[in-house]
Amino acid sequence: MADTALLQIEDLKIGFPARDGGEVTIVDGVSLSVNHGEIVGLVGESGSGKSMLALASMGLVPRPGRITAGSVKLLGEETVGLPDRRMQDLRGGTIGMVFQDPMTGLNPVRTIGSLLSESVRRHQRVSRDRALEIAEAALTSVGIPAAHERLSVYPHQLSGGLRQRAMIALALVNDPAVIIADEPTTALDTTIQAQILDLLRAKLVAAGGILITHDLGVAAEICDRLAVIYHGRLVETGPTADLLAAPRHPYTEGLLRAIPRFDRHRPRLVPIPGQPPAPSMDRGACSFRPRCDYAMDACAKAPALTPDGAGRSVACWAPIGAPVLERRA
Amino acid sequence: MNVWHTIRGVLSKRGLELAILLFAISTLLFFLLRLSGDPAAVLAGEEADPDLVALIRQRYGLDDPLIVQYVSYVLSILTLDFGESLRGGQEALILVLQRLASTLLLAFLALIVTAAIAVPLGAWLGVRPDAKTRKWVNGIVFIFQGIPGYIVGLLLIQLFVVELRWLTSIGNQGVTSWILPSLTLASFLAPKMVRVVAANVSEAMREDYIRTARANGASTAQVLWRHALPNALLGATALIGTQFAFLMSGSLITEWIFAWPGFGLLLVQSVERLDFPVVQAAVFVIAGLVFVVNAGTDVVFRLIDPRLRRQQA
Amino acid sequence: MTAQTESPAPVRSLLPRLRIWPRAGSGNGMTIVGMVIVLCFAIATIGVLIWPPAEAYTGNLMERWKAPLEDGSVLGTDQLGRSLLWRVAAGMPWSLGIAFTAAVIAMTLGTAAGLLAAWSPGPIRRIVQHLVDTVIAFPSLVLAVTVIALLGRGFWPLAATLGLATWPIAARVVYAEAMSISKRDYVMAARLAGVGSTTILITHVLPALRPTLLVMFAFTFADMLIAESALSFLGIGVPLTAPSWGNMLSESREYLVEAPQQMLVPATAIVLAVVAFNLIGDGVAAKARSRSRAVE
Repeated sequence: MADTALLQIEDLKIGFPARDGGEVTIVDGVSLSVNHGEIVGLVGESGSGKSMLALASMGLVPRPGRITAGSVKLLGEETVGLPDRRMQDLRGGTIGMVFQDPMTGLNPVRTIGSLLSESVRRHQRVSRDRALEIAEAALTSVGIPAAHERLSVYPHQLSGGLRQRAMIALALVNDPAVIIADEPTTALDTTIQAQILDLLRAKLVAAGGILITHDLGVAAEICDRLAVIYHGRLVETGPTADLLAAPRHPYTEGLLRAIPRFDRHRPRLVPIPGQPPAPSMDRGACSFRPRCDYAMDACAKAPALTPDGAGRSVACWAPIGAPVLERRA
Repeated sequence: MNVWHTIRGVLSKRGLELAILLFAISTLLFFLLRLSGDPAAVLAGEEADPDLVALIRQRYGLDDPLIVQYVSYVLSILTLDFGESLRGGQEALILVLQRLASTLLLAFLALIVTAAIAVPLGAWLGVRPDAKTRKWVNGIVFIFQGIPGYIVGLLLIQLFVVELRWLTSIGNQGVTSWILPSLTLASFLAPKMVRVVAANVSEAMREDYIRTARANGASTAQVLWRHALPNALLGATALIGTQFAFLMSGSLITEWIFAWPGFGLLLVQSVERLDFPVVQAAVFVIAGLVFVVNAGTDVVFRLIDPRLRRQQA
Repeated sequence: MTAQTESPAPVRSLLPRLRIWPRAGSGNGMTIVGMVIVLCFAIATIGVLIWPPAEAYTGNLMERWKAPLEDGSVLGTDQLGRSLLWRVAAGMPWSLGIAFTAAVIAMTLGTAAGLLAAWSPGPIRRIVQHLVDTVIAFPSLVLAVTVIALLGRGFWPLAATLGLATWPIAARVVYAEAMSISKRDYVMAARLAGVGSTTILITHVLPALRPTLLVMFAFTFADMLIAESALSFLGIGVPLTAPSWGNMLSESREYLVEAPQQMLVPATAIVLAVVAFNLIGDGVAAKARSRSRAVE
């Protein structure tokens, strides 16, 4: 592991003003780091706070939300409270983001070339022509054929897969140190998804990246480490293979059971019972308690994310696979 | 190729509308004129001497059967022959066309004033969803929307002509005399435009592509000018076409208040004098002008909006 | 009234939707203010219809051009010494009455045409659409001026002309709304269950249209009031002797120097009524929007 992480999020809290005048916490005390050459998967249901975490890393928490506590360090530089101008330099330059929906994520009245070269000229002192050359190279590098002609094309003139490639090119055009991909394949056809995942793996490994997804299967394919988020808190983290082989948090186990698998005979898919909690739900107790098969009295108090000393952490009073004695503690 | 294709498409759709419109108006005018009593008396005007009435009856063939009258009427319309003004005897169409430049000047000035108000104000309102002042500006725009243009005109006259004595309120006497009429006419359109631009900008600002732009380091100004406004203004441009008819209605009143020598004033005066050929010619010219402007903005809109451009291709 | 397409972006679905346009009339408070103003105008209108105020028509030249609140006159007097307060009141049956009648005509025709277009096979729909597009494309005031030139002045010609010039706007809105309602799941479900289209129209579409019609009526009323006053202002509206608000404004142009109140009093009345109706329309629209959002 490198000494300084590319991206280091520590004890981050994000709040939104509530209707009653109080504040709803959407992300509550999350710590996460990304090292060079590493892909971290952030897995959770919609509403779990995973996208908000990504936007917070970009300094883009939508108003009226705000970061209420914690720190986000990018290449060692604290970005919480950074002046707008400096943050704008970092966005798209040092940290890039790929969004979910390439249909709505690219400005319909701007050509692909103008979008890319605008970002290039925002971050590099180059001529207009040079910026277009860089843009063309970026398009080629994400596998868009006839890149030169594609510069003068509008987003709607591209197919969904090509459009997502263009979105990736836009995020990568300035060679950022960290790339965040937020559900990058969710809006795509299944056949295209695999291609885009391959591309993302290649690109994210070259830098460092976070892949945000609700789909453990997608995360399993390309991530080195996984972080499972539930109700704005991390409930389990660890190396992908370990975590998938032996999940310790009941929620992770539930997610795994809910994945359709074809390589192995399984009696049936088991959905997680109940509904994901509303962001405004009280955090005094373990948030997963109402849906948990193993719930017990101790769960009336929320457990902290505890490392096991071997690279894994779990936030549960009774982690699965732990000795029974310990489970009772 | 593409351009011509677009223009042809627009013209054929709009052209049909214009044809229907002109046919409907001419038929309406024909029958209303005959329903409302003796057309010869109407055409001759009030207190005309009987000889003139008889002359007109003969000139317009008013003793013929209705269907014969109608056919010859339609034929004369088709050849753009609206007859002569009953006051002064000039060709009605020429009389109206002479006023074209004045009306267009006024409409053009009003559009510039409207854009100068609506774009910055609308963009500001659309971008700042949480500014406190925004609520007040909003309220003011809302009230302005409730003030009819003729009241704005009267208030402007009261302030700048009567109280301050800075400006004149009569006719077209050079640039200073343009100020009040163009402000008045703009007041018909500006509040609506402010709201449209603000709503469009605010809608655009919440689009995913704005987030993408910000994620690529665009500054607030760049986001607004290069990403949100191009989208928002496309919608507003389309509105100018559809609102041109409304602008012409406003022009009628504005020209009358300020004695501005356009065809709105001519129309009102001709209605008051019952100078029917001129009324008819004015209505036709206005219909044609609305058609040209609508078709023009339609074409331009299709050419500048890439999304529509594709539908054409 | 255009439907907004929303993308299911994860961030957005998380948050309570930010209000696109916190209207001036946001909240029920402003709607109630609008309703109170309208109610006052309505009561006053009925009042002057039952007891016509003689003060509105007879004046004393000795008392001309009194300023508001001068010598016991509330809003001042005009060039003939007539009370402006009473003249504004006496003008209500004209101005508000014509606007109301014209709005009823426009809404009735517009709703009928909109539903006809929404419920008819292609050819009829296209004819109605063309008719609507055509009339909307023409300056309504120019049309009204011309028709009234032929029909003559008066309450009914004015109301009818304004209504006839305005119905296509209502038709367009009703058509668009009816089409979107007819694509809703519960209407589709009813259709699949074999319910007849007339029954669907009456039991599903019309009730769902109600807020739209209410909003349209409020806005149309405001527009008609402006148009009526405009025509009277141009001297081709109601009879010149009638104390309609437009006529009062028209007269006032001659005396802007001597008596600005002659312009300001009817102007205020018009603006007050128009803003009141806009407030109601905005309020109802906001309420309908928030309700449909809650349903989603």
